[in-house]
Amino acid sequence: MSDIHHPGRRSVLAAGVASAAALGGSWLLTGCSGAQAAPVLPAAAEKGAPDRGGTLRIARPPASDAETLDPASSLSAYEYLGALYNRLVRVAANGELAPDLAESWETDAKARTWTFRLRKGVAFHNGRAFTSADAAYTLRHILDKATASPQAAVLAPLIDPEKLGTPDAHTLVVPLKSPNAEFPSLLTHYNCYVIPDGSAKSIGRTGIGTGPFKLESFAPAGPGRVTAYKDHFAGRPVLDAIAFYSVADMSARSNALLAGQVDLLSQTNLDFATARVVAASDRATIARVKNAQWYVLPMLTTEKPFTDVRVRQAMKLAYDPEHVVKVALQGAGTAGWDNPVPPSDPAYISAHPKHDPEKAKYLLKQAGHEGLAMDLYTSSYDPLFTPMALAYQDSAKRAGIRIKVKTASADSYYTQIWMKKPLMATYWFTGRPVDQLFTQIFRSGSSYNETAWSDKTFDAVLDKARAEIDDTKRRELYGEAQTLVIEKGGAMTPMFADRLVGISRKVRGYAEHGFEFDYLGIGLKGA
Amino acid sequence: MLSFITRRIAAAVGTLFLSSVLVFLAVQALPGDVATQILGKDATPDAVAALRTKLNLDQPAWERYGHWVWGALHGDFGTSLVSGKAVGGEVSMYLGNSALIAVVTVLFAVTGSIVLGILAGLYRDRWPDHVISTVSLVGMSVPEFVVATVLVLCFSVALPWFPAVVLYGPDATVSQLLPAVWLPALALAVVMAAYIVRMARTSVIDVMATEYVTTARLKGLSTWRVVTRHALPSALLPTLHVIALNVAWLVGGVAVVENVFNYPGIGKLMLSSVQNRDLPTIQAIALISAVVYVVCNLAADLATMALNPRLRTRGRTR
Repeated sequence: MSDIHHPGRRSVLAAGVASAAALGGSWLLTGCSGAQAAPVLPAAAEKGAPDRGGTLRIARPPASDAETLDPASSLSAYEYLGALYNRLVRVAANGELAPDLAESWETDAKARTWTFRLRKGVAFHNGRAFTSADAAYTLRHILDKATASPQAAVLAPLIDPEKLGTPDAHTLVVPLKSPNAEFPSLLTHYNCYVIPDGSAKSIGRTGIGTGPFKLESFAPAGPGRVTAYKDHFAGRPVLDAIAFYSVADMSARSNALLAGQVDLLSQTNLDFATARVVAASDRATIARVKNAQWYVLPMLTTEKPFTDVRVRQAMKLAYDPEHVVKVALQGAGTAGWDNPVPPSDPAYISAHPKHDPEKAKYLLKQAGHEGLAMDLYTSSYDPLFTPMALAYQDSAKRAGIRIKVKTASADSYYTQIWMKKPLMATYWFTGRPVDQLFTQIFRSGSSYNETAWSDKTFDAVLDKARAEIDDTKRRELYGEAQTLVIEKGGAMTPMFADRLVGISRKVRGYAEHGFEFDYLGIGLKGA
Repeated sequence: MLSFITRRIAAAVGTLFLSSVLVFLAVQALPGDVATQILGKDATPDAVAALRTKLNLDQPAWERYGHWVWGALHGDFGTSLVSGKAVGGEVSMYLGNSALIAVVTVLFAVTGSIVLGILAGLYRDRWPDHVISTVSLVGMSVPEFVVATVLVLCFSVALPWFPAVVLYGPDATVSQLLPAVWLPALALAVVMAAYIVRMARTSVIDVMATEYVTTARLKGLSTWRVVTRHALPSALLPTLHVIALNVAWLVGGVAVVENVFNYPGIGKLMLSSVQNRDLPTIQAIALISAVVYVVCNLAADLATMALNPRLRTRGRTR
């Protein structure tokens, strides 16, 4: 579950409470500090080096009461994973792959077999040395049906668990069923953290990894604590410990930050009202994660009228993404122009058709849907859904498209509305490597294909790209794939939004992008 | 009198039976299939089908209802679909935490509001009455989560006297929870007290206008004595019912307030169970709330009867 809509279906029933509380908060605080203009949201967190030591207190939404520390599980307690474990490969801030437990990797001329050279002298928290057997076991654990890992759907078509090779303690050989030049990028997923050989049954409780922190305590949907692992291969983390608290309600999380009970709100995209209150506080401030979330208005291509590609094109040409960014995000983000690949991705292409309501009108007339009227479903699941829907509605009016925004219940939104209603609002976290993004969300028949789009040309381009080991040529092919999604696909991508993260003014060295969080460098001033 | 009690108890049992049926039906009507909700979006159709069989969702509804009520009568509420633990134990742990808030709330609300109500009644239409009546009207109209949020902003954020949220889990000890109890209790007490203040005020005004109070005054008794010895007992009688109803209301109001404070009580358990579609837990909480409601009402009725001579003897004079 945490894979897609990260802040889970967990915390939202009382979203009404949250927004009302935020409003209450803002009038109270502005009342206290005199009639000032709303503070401008800071662009970045406080600069400067942290002091060594101290305990960082993080409030997080629990995944569910059945949470586990098994990284492969769909119910894993996300914030613990990066602290406790390492992957073979991670994503650097520039979107390129970077070594983690694997120091280097190479493939044969056909991208059929991948060889990973593993870091030497790394030990798990229980003192056992990390070897290629652990890396192979981790992959087999993810592919094991009993684990029910969301990442299995991506890896199973590629890997035969029986054929993984470990010629020596520090070499892992992965033969693929079909060529894939982007294979290492699939191992950056947070379900792919490396666990010790044979630990499937116990890992959910013990949390034994090679990461910068080791587990002291953990309670599902409750409090937990990790302490610095001094023998970590990249050196010891700045902090002595991290205390995790699970707080389901979003307004309760921001209250805890304002009251100084916690230092960082994880997986919480603050709404603008709350963000202003937090930024105005003496104790806390806002850090932005640039383009962290990618917002979508999926059109179900199996439902009328979206079965007709002209209608889909008209829906896209009809609205102005810049207008949506201005209205729904108050400028805190980037226009998407219906391309789901984030601008920070190395494969990103910036070309796109211009906003053209007249052409949209013409296409609709051609398709026999002049003056199209549609219901667009949203919910309070995410604070930006409804503003985005209303901005779309407003913008598409000029093309004669009449949109009725309907609000559905937040807690059953992803079981009742998503992938069921022809037009609705949703979002994903950015940070997926381009191959994973296209394979998981746009390829025919894939598990998260939320527009049910099926296009043979697109699938063929994807296959060709995967088999292409020349980096430049491969990027061109992924560019072609983007053009197909923009021109023929069912997903409208109005915007990439910055995530507004509430942190204490004492926090230094906070760095987060995609699914990467810098646990080593984060610390506190005056801890 | 005995027949009145029997009838009243029979009615209570009937109410409970009806509420168990309604609870069961309402939970069945929750949107979203339980199996998909539990397994998440990544579930395969096979896994969903297997879970449906495991949860007996393929059996007819009346059969599942019978099974559930039979278990509940024996104190067995089944196992949680999410944590896999016995629902009875889970619910009582959270219920215990909520009871802590409830006790403090009732103490705050009852003592505070009776004193205020009597003052308002005695100073009828003078400034203390105006102040108390206005404030209680406001308290009545503002939802509890707003009161709670304002209290947090004043007493946790601006003045750091109390914690804004509870960071402990449901197994927290009483001493860990105690500092966090006051604000939620105060928020609930403010909303709850308003009704009791209004009721107490009216009763005091009524009683003070009666002949026996006038007689007592003419006898030369001090106002204090008249109020405590003669007026108060009669004035409290109708208030009792309002208090009982409000205690029952606490069960619901606590859900909202606990969420604002992240307090590990029954209200929070209810919210997360609804989100997770943890049917056995939702059903158990709903049924227990119904029991609290019915028992509070029954107790209020019986206590009123015990205290009111006219009601007590009605059966015989007819």
